[in-house]
Amino acid sequence: MNKVLRVAVTEYLTAVRSKAFLIGIIMLPVLMFGGLIVAQLTKDKVDLKDRRFAVIDRSGKMYEAIARRAEERNRNGIFNGQDGADPKQIRPRFLPQVFEKPETESRTVELVLSEQVRAGELFAFLVIGKDILNTKGEGDTEVAYYTETPTFTDLPGWIEQAVNEEVMAHRFTEAEVDQALVKRLTRHTPVKRLGLAALSDTGELIKAKEENKLATFGIPAISMFLLFILVMSSAPALLNTVLEEKLQKISEVLISAVTPFQLMFGKLIGAVMVSLTLSVLYLGSVVFFLARMEMLSLVPVSLFAWFLLFQLLALMIFGSVFSAIGAACSELKDAQNMMFPAMMLVMIPMFTWMPVLQAPSSTFSRVISLFPPATPMLMMLRIAIPPGPPWWEIALAVVLTTGFMLLCVWASAKIFRVGILSQGQTPTFKKLLVWIISR
Amino acid sequence: MTTAVRLTHVTKTFGAHTAVEDLSLEVPTGSVYGFIGPNGSGKTTTIRMILHIFHPDSGSVEVLGTATSRAANDRIGYLPEERGLYKKMTVKRVLTYYAGLKGMNTADARGLIDTWLERMNLGEWANRKVEVLSKGMAQKIQFISAVLARPELLILDEPFSGLDPVNLEVIHEAIVELRQRGTTIIFSTHDMATAEKMCDSIFMIYKGRKVLDGTLDSIQSRYGEDTIRLRLNGSVDPLKGLEGVTLVRDQGRYQEVRYAGDPQDLLRALVAKTEVRLFEVTRPSLHDIFIRIARPETGEAADHE
Repeated sequence: MNKVLRVAVTEYLTAVRSKAFLIGIIMLPVLMFGGLIVAQLTKDKVDLKDRRFAVIDRSGKMYEAIARRAEERNRNGIFNGQDGADPKQIRPRFLPQVFEKPETESRTVELVLSEQVRAGELFAFLVIGKDILNTKGEGDTEVAYYTETPTFTDLPGWIEQAVNEEVMAHRFTEAEVDQALVKRLTRHTPVKRLGLAALSDTGELIKAKEENKLATFGIPAISMFLLFILVMSSAPALLNTVLEEKLQKISEVLISAVTPFQLMFGKLIGAVMVSLTLSVLYLGSVVFFLARMEMLSLVPVSLFAWFLLFQLLALMIFGSVFSAIGAACSELKDAQNMMFPAMMLVMIPMFTWMPVLQAPSSTFSRVISLFPPATPMLMMLRIAIPPGPPWWEIALAVVLTTGFMLLCVWASAKIFRVGILSQGQTPTFKKLLVWIISR
Repeated sequence: MTTAVRLTHVTKTFGAHTAVEDLSLEVPTGSVYGFIGPNGSGKTTTIRMILHIFHPDSGSVEVLGTATSRAANDRIGYLPEERGLYKKMTVKRVLTYYAGLKGMNTADARGLIDTWLERMNLGEWANRKVEVLSKGMAQKIQFISAVLARPELLILDEPFSGLDPVNLEVIHEAIVELRQRGTTIIFSTHDMATAEKMCDSIFMIYKGRKVLDGTLDSIQSRYGEDTIRLRLNGSVDPLKGLEGVTLVRDQGRYQEVRYAGDPQDLLRALVAKTEVRLFEVTRPSLHDIFIRIARPETGEAADHE
């Protein structure tokens, strides 16, 4: 068996047999979708303890309305499956109570109620200014909500809405305007978002389809992030394995049997194989789920081909750069320092993907997606956004990136050759350049 | 007699530093050749040129009949001074991998690995991870990795360091057997006693230049019979103040001195002063020769590049 292949297969088997690989397979979906799943699972696990709150209604006209609304909410607004047979409480009850001695001097009232909140008798209290219903907004119109638990926003949110609706209703009534009329006149008009109309082959009009959030935002973003994660899970690992071999003096044994280039290239191919394995796993499950949800037609087959091509290019570029860094350094700390600039290149798409997604054919998007280190991910993003960039831009991107990839592999091989057996001080960038241009 | 390794006027520089200068050397096929020299003197560079890891700036390196390419590397076994094994791999996998890199097919390698592991009393460790092995065991595994692919040329860099006497004996026997089968062995070491015991010829490099090359006998005779090994009853004080005496080494139980003049004169002078228990006129040991050459500055220089 060819030595490059031998290195590649060993690298591959070592990687896929490791616990880290298994954990990695599970971690990606967990990271991407775990939040959603946990949110879904814990949706019903809210604290259903009653929220009692005192109301100091200086206007004397608001408490009744608040209490009525709270009662209505507690009866109808806190259960799920009302239409079903088994209503289950999913939100806490809000229980307002009027504060008996509103005449007491305000500072003392606040203090008394604050103590009650601290003692756990109340959850919060509300102070409503006496001129709250003043239509000109003059006088004491302040509404203040006091609590020890400001992170629970449901209650103040509900209160704000309740108070505002009441106040507004009062203002309309004062102005002798019919409530029902106001509602009718101020109703919201939604805007439908559509794609473009087209002609079919038979000359019939194909009506524009309603915009699909998944197709226009979801698929491009997911393809790019998946690509990013796949590259990140394989390329920097090369730095570690190369550095480890160097620190444990394995390199010297290997270099006596294979050339540095064979070693580096074998490792690169191993990393590409690991990454493609992950790719097949993830893309396979994406296809499976899309098929189950009958949304497979949203993803053109060509997208998968582009994905694999850009994955290969990105891995070769960053994989060779990271292995060269591993070979050049003699200490993990130095390697981390040197890794930083390379990491910044990997991260470019992360900093720029939003503007590219918003305006895929802007000058900025075109230029940045033709910058080779960023091309694999950003061009992937642009291709995934319908209708995609013009063909010549894609072709140019592939040519530029392939050229850049060859340059990276060549330069890295030069650094790798000298670095792998060098000991002691980590070279400066100037020294690395000397290594690259040396014979 | 054929030649396994032939270096002809080889020079290798790293930047401003000359690691090896105008070195010519012939290692005959089937011989055991000792490479000695202080740290940083160019031993490792020389070995790496023999392995074609480094290319000389000038001169030529011919190994097993092939010059200037790595074609011969599959026929060379190399045990570097610093051991390198993958900690997370099992013993068997590491050995199969290393044998594979030497061009051996997996089936052949597996059979040989079992034989070697048994021979080194490591049979039960075949499927354990390298990280659980003791230092001595790892050393033996590394040795197996160097000899597994039946090399014609075996380069051993400090093969005995860190071994207990039992394991040392096992490796020693293996080396002797390989030699009997006709393997050419290059043996780099700091242990002069071992070099004296095992090597047919000795090559010493110092500051990048060859300073010794030949059989032990020829080297020793170049330095003549100027060493006197003696033991006195009581302290070594009587030696002090004697004209022409230089103390080479105080071994505790005996002293080695050099005497400028007739040893018999020294003996007479000593007998007059104290009781002499031992007085032997001998040739300098390799150790002494080494120190005589390298004494001026044996400061620990990093074993560069």
